[in-house]
Amino acid sequence: MPDVQSTVVEFVNKLRKRKIEGSQATAKCTVELLRSVISHQRVPHANQAAALIDAVKAVGEQLVAANPVELAVGNVVRRVLHIIREEDLSLTTAAMGGLDLLDASDDDDVDNCKGIGYPAMSAAVVAAAARSTLRPPSLQTLLEGTPESATVPYTSSSGADSESKTADKSSLTRKLKHDVIEGVNQLIHEIAGCHEQIAEQAIEHIHQNEVILTLGSSRTVLEFLCAAKEKKRSFRVFVAEGAPRYQGHLLAKELVARGLQTTVITDSAVFAMISRVNMVIIGAHAVMANGGVIGPVGVNMAALAAQKHAVPFVVLAGSHKLCPLYPHNPEVLLNELRSPSELLDFGEFSDCLDFGAGSGSLQVVNPTFDYVPPNLVSLFITDTGGHNPSYMYRLIADYYSADDLVM
Amino acid sequence: MWRRSPSFILDERRSSNSPPMADTTRGPFQNPDSISAYYQTRAAHHGVITSDWLAQAQAAVGGVTGEDQPLSSDNQLGTEKSFNVIEEFNNWRKQPDLAEAVAAIRALAAVIRASEASTMMELEIELKKASDTLKSWDKTSISLTAGCDLFIRYVTRTSALEYEDFNSAKSRLLERAEKFGEISCKARRIIAMLSQDFIFDGCTILVHGLSRVVLEILKTAAQNNKLFRVLCTEGRPDGTGVLLSSELSKLDIPVKLLLDSAVAYSMDEVDMVFFGADGVVESGGIINMMGTYQIALVAHSMNKPVYVAAESYKFARLYPLDQKDMAPALRPIEFGVKIPTKVEVERSARDYTPPQYLTLLFTDLGVLSPSVVSDELIQLYL
Repeated sequence: MPDVQSTVVEFVNKLRKRKIEGSQATAKCTVELLRSVISHQRVPHANQAAALIDAVKAVGEQLVAANPVELAVGNVVRRVLHIIREEDLSLTTAAMGGLDLLDASDDDDVDNCKGIGYPAMSAAVVAAAARSTLRPPSLQTLLEGTPESATVPYTSSSGADSESKTADKSSLTRKLKHDVIEGVNQLIHEIAGCHEQIAEQAIEHIHQNEVILTLGSSRTVLEFLCAAKEKKRSFRVFVAEGAPRYQGHLLAKELVARGLQTTVITDSAVFAMISRVNMVIIGAHAVMANGGVIGPVGVNMAALAAQKHAVPFVVLAGSHKLCPLYPHNPEVLLNELRSPSELLDFGEFSDCLDFGAGSGSLQVVNPTFDYVPPNLVSLFITDTGGHNPSYMYRLIADYYSADDLVM
Repeated sequence: MWRRSPSFILDERRSSNSPPMADTTRGPFQNPDSISAYYQTRAAHHGVITSDWLAQAQAAVGGVTGEDQPLSSDNQLGTEKSFNVIEEFNNWRKQPDLAEAVAAIRALAAVIRASEASTMMELEIELKKASDTLKSWDKTSISLTAGCDLFIRYVTRTSALEYEDFNSAKSRLLERAEKFGEISCKARRIIAMLSQDFIFDGCTILVHGLSRVVLEILKTAAQNNKLFRVLCTEGRPDGTGVLLSSELSKLDIPVKLLLDSAVAYSMDEVDMVFFGADGVVESGGIINMMGTYQIALVAHSMNKPVYVAAESYKFARLYPLDQKDMAPALRPIEFGVKIPTKVEVERSARDYTPPQYLTLLFTDLGVLSPSVVSDELIQLYL
C-alpha cells in the first residue's frame, strides 16, 4: 500500500511539473497507475465496488488537481470508474440470474448460495433498479423513482455473501477485481492502439491527387497520412509550421522520409493557401462534450479559414481524448501559458519587458491551446469511426457514467 | 390566398370548414372561441394574484361537479367522470406555481383514485380515455399532452411486469403521481444547478417571457453571489417583462426593460440569451411565447449563445415544419385603441424556433445539444 502511495505522489509531481507530454503518454501512465491502485486495494467483502470507486476517485482527484489542463487524465479516471460500475453491475445481474435459476429448479451446478430465501422481490424489479443505476437519467426513468432503490442489489448480494459462508464468498470478491483489471487492461490496449484504428480509416477519406493541410505535429495525423500513402494514394501535404515551437518542421521531415510530397508554410500563410486545399486534417488535444475541439494554437484560425472557403475540417482524436465536460470559457480556463522565451529572447528585450517592477511595459503571451467551436468542425474520426460533432453525446454516454462527471 | 407555406393546404381546409364546424363537431368538452386555454391561464398567472383569489381557487379544488349536466343518459357515468377530469385539471392548473404537466398528472391520479377498475387493463383503458379527453379539451398545451403521454406510458410499462397484486400496483401508481410534483420542483433545481457554470461574473443576460425555470436559474445565480445583469423584453401582450423585472429587482439583480423591438439594438451588449419553453419538439427546436424565434434569429446572426431551460417532461412528439404547422393557439390582444373591423390581428400566442438557432438545452437529464432530444424521445416511445 505505501508502495502505491509513493508512485502516486511521484506521478502527481511529474504532472505538476509538466514532465509528461502528450495526451496518449499521460493517459497510458494514468491507467497503469490506476491499475496498480486497484490491484493493491484491499476490498471489504461487502460493497466492494464502492470501495474501489472511492479509492480510484481519491487518487483521480489528486491527479486532476495536479494538471487540470491535461484533460486526458480526468477522462481516463472516469473511464476506469465507469468500468468498475459496469463490471459490478454485470456480476450482480449474473448473480441474480443464477439465484432465479436456483429457485426454479434445484440445480446443484449453480455455485451460488443455496436455499437462502430471498425477500419477496422479483428479479425483474431488482434488475430494473440495477439497470437504472448505470444509465444516465432519461425520460423513461423520470417517473420510476429515486436511486435509493439501486442500493438494493448491492445489499442483497452482500447479504447473500455473508450468509452463505462458503468459499464462494472469496471467489466473488476476487471476481470483481479480476474483471475490473481485465477491463482496465482492455482500456490500455485501446489507448495504445488508437493510432492504428484511426489510420485504418484513412483510405476512405483521402483520395487521389488531393491536397491536405495540417498544422503543427501530431502522431495521429502522421500515421493517418502514411496509411493512405501505403495504400498507393498519391497526394500532397501542406504543413503549417506551428509557431513558436515549430513542430511542423519535424512533421514535414517525417513525411518526406516516408515519401510524401510536403510543403512547409507559415501560420500566417494558411488563409492564402486554403483555397488550393481539399481538406484540413488536425490532431486534437481534447474534444469537449459539445463537440468543441481543444487543439494546438493556430487551429481556430485554420478552422475559420476552412469555413470561409468551404473546405472540410477533419479532426482526429483517440477515444481517450473525449471529455464529458462542457467548455466554459475554454480560452482561459483550459489553456496553458508557456514561457515567453519561446517567442522573444530575454537578452535583447530585458529593458522593455514588464517584470512587474514597473520599468518595462511589454507583455508576452504564449498560449498553448486554441478552442474550435463545434460548428466549424465537419467530421471527427475516432477509433470507433467517423462522427458528426453533434454525435459526441452518444460516445460520452457509452464511455462515462453520469455520477463521475464532478470529481 | 396569401398563403405560401406548405401548410396552406391545412389552412384552407381549416378556414373553409370552420363555419359549419362551429356547433356540430365541437363536443361538449371543447372550450369556446378557440382561444387557447393554456395561454389564458398563463396570462391569469401573470396577472395580479390576490390572496382571496387564491383562497377561492383553493376552495374550488375540493369542489365537485354538481352543476354540470350530463348530455345523455347513455354515457352519463362516462361524462361525469370526464367532467371530473377536466374540472380537476382546471383546478390544479390555476395554482400559479404548478407546472402544467404536474396538473395533468394529478388530474389523472384523481381518475385512478376514483376508478372502480379491478384489473390493470381496465385501469389503463380508463386512463387512456381520461387522457384523450384532457388532450382534446385543450389542444394547444404541449406540456399537458406530454404529461399525459408520459404518465400513460409509465402506467403501461409498470403494470404488467412488476407487480402481481393489483392494489399494490395501483397504490404505487398513485404514489408516483403524487411524487411527480416533487420531481418537477427537483427538476427546476437540477436545471438551475447545471446552468450555474454558464453564467460568469460580469455577464449580461437577455431573457424573454416569464419562465419559472429561468427565474429559478437567475435566483440561484444571485444566491451564489454572481455579478450579472438582466435585460428583459417587455413581452407584449402578457406584460411578462414588467413582472420579471419586479421579481428580479427583489433579488437585487440589475434589470433593464426593453421594448420587444429593441432587442436587435441591444444585442451587442448581451452575452447570452435565456428562454424557457412551452414545449420541446422532436427536431430539438422549441415552442415558446411569441417573439422567441425573432430573438433567436438576432442572437444567432450576432453569434450570441442561446440557452433553453426546459424540464424533460416537456419533450413532445411534434415535428412542426414551419410556423403555421401547429394547432393554432390564439389569444386576445388589446391595442388600447379601437381597431377598425376590417383590420385583422395576428393573435397567435406562440412560435416555433428551429434547432439550428439554439446552442444548448438545460434539462434535468443534463445539458443537451438539440440533437439529443430526438434520441431521448425514441428511447421513451420505443
